[in-house]
Formats: sequence, structure tokens, C-alpha cells
Amino acid sequence: MSTVESRPGAPRPPAAVTREPAAEKPAKPFDRPRFLKLFIGLFFLFSFAPIVLVVLFSFNSSRSLQDFQGFSVRWYETFFESESLRDSLLASVQIALVTMLIATLIGTLLAYGLVRARTRASGALNILMLVPLVTPEIVAGASALLLFTQIGFELSLTTIMLAHITFSISYVTVVVRARLAAISRDVEDAAMDLGATRLATFRLVTLPALWPAILAAGLLVFALSFDDFVLSFFTTGESPQPLPVRIWTQIRFGVRPTINAIGTFMLVVSIVTIGLALLLPRLLGRRESGLKVLLGREGA
Amino acid sequence: MSAIRFETVTKRFGETVAVRALDLAVEKGEFFSLLGPSGCGKTTTLRMVAGFEQPSEGRIYLDGEPVETVPPYKRHVNTVFQSYALFEHLSVEDNVAFGLKRQKVPRGEIRTRVAEALELVELRGREKARPRELSGGQKQRVALARALENRPSVLLLDEPLGALDLQLRKQMQVELKGIQREVGITFLYVTHDQEEALAMSDRIAVMEDGEVMQCGSPEEIYEQPSGPFVAGFIGISNLLSGVVDNGGVKLASGVTCAAELPGDCAQGSEVHVSVRPEKIWLDELQEGMVSVEGTVVERVYVGTTTQVIVELAPGMRLTALEQNTARARSDDRWEIGDRVRLGWHPEHARVLR
Repeated sequence: MSTVESRPGAPRPPAAVTREPAAEKPAKPFDRPRFLKLFIGLFFLFSFAPIVLVVLFSFNSSRSLQDFQGFSVRWYETFFESESLRDSLLASVQIALVTMLIATLIGTLLAYGLVRARTRASGALNILMLVPLVTPEIVAGASALLLFTQIGFELSLTTIMLAHITFSISYVTVVVRARLAAISRDVEDAAMDLGATRLATFRLVTLPALWPAILAAGLLVFALSFDDFVLSFFTTGESPQPLPVRIWTQIRFGVRPTINAIGTFMLVVSIVTIGLALLLPRLLGRRESGLKVLLGREGA
Repeated sequence: MSAIRFETVTKRFGETVAVRALDLAVEKGEFFSLLGPSGCGKTTTLRMVAGFEQPSEGRIYLDGEPVETVPPYKRHVNTVFQSYALFEHLSVEDNVAFGLKRQKVPRGEIRTRVAEALELVELRGREKARPRELSGGQKQRVALARALENRPSVLLLDEPLGALDLQLRKQMQVELKGIQREVGITFLYVTHDQEEALAMSDRIAVMEDGEVMQCGSPEEIYEQPSGPFVAGFIGISNLLSGVVDNGGVKLASGVTCAAELPGDCAQGSEVHVSVRPEKIWLDELQEGMVSVEGTVVERVYVGTTTQVIVELAPGMRLTALEQNTARARSDDRWEIGDRVRLGWHPEHARVLR
């Protein structure tokens, strides 16, 4: 039928003519339910209001957490002037960076192995790999703590990193595996057929197709690791503590406005990281954005 | 020396046998087709030549050298994949230059050779395009140029025209054949399209269930099919079952027809008679023809001809062709239900076991 309608110069089908006056009628009250707008409004109110308050009060000139008395950056100054908080921030960044690098590397190789090396065990392995994703973090944290104390591993930044890396590998594998499965095996065969060794094939053909996913996975892991509390709490040493643990420790001795400044700062770091995951692939000449890679919503 | 030689090659995937004791030689400069239904082992055979699969038994020789220990990237063969398998992140130019770069060919030479290859496949002006910007036919040409560019001793083509529409496929068939003649490279061509194989090949091997049923020129395959499978797979099958009877074949419908019997046909053994539709005469029969009678049960209009399907006896049908020429008149033709006499010269019937 569409061929008839799209033919240029063909008389318009009568159905289209009668439809027009119908469109001018007032919409029925149930056509676009207003209450949907209300739901959406409430959703955004509840999700954003606390964040907006934190950001707003981080710039409050007074100690009060109830009324805003004027603009100031004094809480940011307190934050950055405090040596222990600076150390915590640095520790968190270190942990996140190391976790990102190592988990991305291992996770990518794991994905490659799972997708390309088809063995009898790969079905089971593909499911086992998801276990860390569904393990309650408190269980992962407690068991990591038990393990480290059992083997006499002193708790420090290293133990946090180990726990974070273990936890993050699955995220990387899931993201990279989805992309890898979409790359036709033929393309790799074609590269070998044209004289590329296995390694050259991986470098010249597989990696270029894979790296938006790898980049997105890496940044996701950075964001996850940077604001992780539970795992860090169980595996942290005395000092320096990562920022989220540090905040928790501080709150136990009373809520101070510095928390708002730290919270806002962490929010900015997370937004920037996710923003990079979305933008970098596009800026570097890829059409698919990191978001699409993460959500698996890529074109064929 | 053959370009490719298979020596009792068998390939198993677990329990299933994909290729069974294959013995075949493809000569230099030949356009050789492996033809068969899907799952007959033709693609596996091709992939073994490329080196993506290893034979379970037997040996493959390329230019006389056994190749079981040679990895794909060291074999002097190139493949055109059914899916084209272009590198999406590279331009047309870089796709075509991929093989030359691996061989460390000097940059200046790469440029001229890529330009020549794109000239050959008529893609000049699209050098900078990305594969996703190309049409199916253009992608196919890039894949072809990319493979030919390395001047392989054998070019392997795995249903390269399978994804194109009919019009383009016909056009590409002619172009492919022309290119093959021009470059003189041995082509090993895998297809399930019998018309394509007949139109392009110097020789065809018809495969079924991992075995070669017949190997020969298109004329041989078409005119002298070796068995019911080949006769049925190539062209329209007109297979009539019957038994050998006094130097002829007594058909199941009761008519005995004269036919040339293969050497060792015992009296009373079960055979099939195969007659091509275009060899069958409708009504105006000539002296010395085998003659049968039946009822028209179907007419299939296919443009230049109309297929007239005639039932001789229940379950026994023959397809004949009615030419839709300038002389054909619409008021004078066979309609469904008409009784009709069919005939053919005995030399056009083939007795198959």
C-alpha cells in the first residue's frame, strides 16, 4: 500500500482526506494522560532534590545545613587544606586508576577468550563470570577481608585495589564481550587471509573495532571504583583511607558542611568520567558513542 | 602441476563428516566451481584451502606443495567472503592496501597497485569512502579488489554474489568472469546457484553430503548428469522412474521408451530416466521419438517461456517448455486439464541409476 501512496502525482487516497478534519477535534482527555507528567516530575524531584541541596549548601557561607546565608567557597578550602582529606582523595584516585587499568586489561582478555575460544566449558564460564556482578557487595567485602587476614596480607591501598579489580573485571568483560560478539569472525579470518599474523590481526582489526567498548568499560570501572564504599570499607587499612570511607568516618563525629563540598566534588568527577565515556569515542572519530556501547544499543 | 590438489581429504566436526575422502585437482588458470546445496561441504572445502580449517585426514597441495603446516597468513591464496568481511574502520583504499602493507611493499608501489585494482573493479573516486557508505555491489567489488591485489595463485570465492539482488548478480557474473580471464588467476568458486556455476565455470564439481557426485564441464554436468542427484540439482528435474526392459526402459506409467543404457544394466533393474524440459516436444512429434501422453496440471509463466507441467500417471510429472515467441498465439495453447502428447528423441534421454 505504501508504494501507492508514495508514487508522485498519484491521486491522494480518500482515507488521507477524511483523516484531516478528525485531527482538528479536541484531543480526548485520555489521549495523553497528564498524570504521566506528574510521575516524571516526581521522579526527577526525588532524584535530583538531594543532589541539588548538597551542591547548593556546599557553597553556603554559614555552617547551617538548613538555611542558605550567602555564597562562599570556604568548605572547599577546608576540604583541600585538610591534609588527611587530600590524602584520601589522592588514595581514591590512585585506586580508581590502577583498578581501571588492570581490570580493563584482564577483562578484555577474558572477553576475548570467552568469545573466541569455543570450548566445552565456555558456556559454563560465560555464566560463572557473572557471579561477581550479582554477589552482594557486603559478601564480597567480608570475604575479601577474611581472605586477606587469613593469609596475613596487611590491609592497605593494595588490598583495596585487589578487591576492586576482582569486582570490576566482570563489568569490563560484559561490556567488551557484547561488542566482540558483534564483530564477525570473517573479518578476523580476512585479515589473516591477507597476511596478518594472529597478533597483527588483533592489533589491526579486532582492537580498532573493540576500543570504544574498552574505553567505555574502563571509564565505567573508574567511576565505580572511585565512589565505592562497601568493598573499600572492608579492605581499607588505617591510613590513608579512600574518600568515601573517610567521609563515613567523619560523619560519625557529626555532619559538617565540608561533606557537601566533598560530595559535590565527587559528583563532578563522576559526571566528567561518564561524560568522557560518552564523548571520547565520538571526538576521536567513531560514530557510536560510549553510551550506546554500554547499553548495547549499537547499529548492526 | 595442479594449482590445488586434494588427496583423500576428510574433514570431521565431532561426529559429523563435512567432507568425505575428497580427491580433486584444480588446474592453473581454471574457473572451478564447487556446487551443491547448503551443508554439502563446499564451504568447508574452501576454508581448508584458505587454512582456516585443517583436514582431519588426507593432504592438500597448493602448487604442488603440501600445506597442512602453513598458517593462513603464509598461504598464497586469498578469499572473497560471502559477508565481504571488510574492515569497517578503514577506507576503501586502506582495505585494498591491507595485504600489500603486510607484505611490506614500498609505499609508492602500493599506491599505484591499489589505484590499478580499484580501476579494475570500477571503483575509482571512492578511495576515501568507508565500507558503510557503499552499496552491496560496491562492497563486493572492494572485497574482490582487496583479495586480487595480492596476486594470489588461487582466489577463493565463497558465494560472493549471494547477498546481491538478481539484476546485479547477473551483471557481476559477467564481470567476474571477465576479470578472471583478464588476470588469469585460478578461481575456486563456491556456490549453491546452479545457473551461476553453469554461466561462469570452466569446470564444476557437484557436491552432496561431503562427496563429489560429478566433476566436469558445464555441458557435461548439464547434458550428461551422472546420477539422479546431479540431474535433479542442475536445471529442472524431469526424473521418471522405471525398470530396464529389453534394451529400453519401461516407465512406471506403462510406456516403454527407447534409451541408451549405461554399460552394466541388468534386465529388470530399477533406473531413472532424465529428460531436460527444453528437449521435450509438445504435440507435434517427429519420427522416431519416444511418445507419452498425459494431462496438463499446471502452467507456470516465467517470461520467455511457460512451463507446462504434465502428469503422465499419478505422481509422475514432466515439465515441458512452451516458447513465448512472436509466433505464439494466446488462443492456441495448452490449458490445465488438456490431454497432451509429449515426445523426445531417444538420444536426449539419460538413464540414471
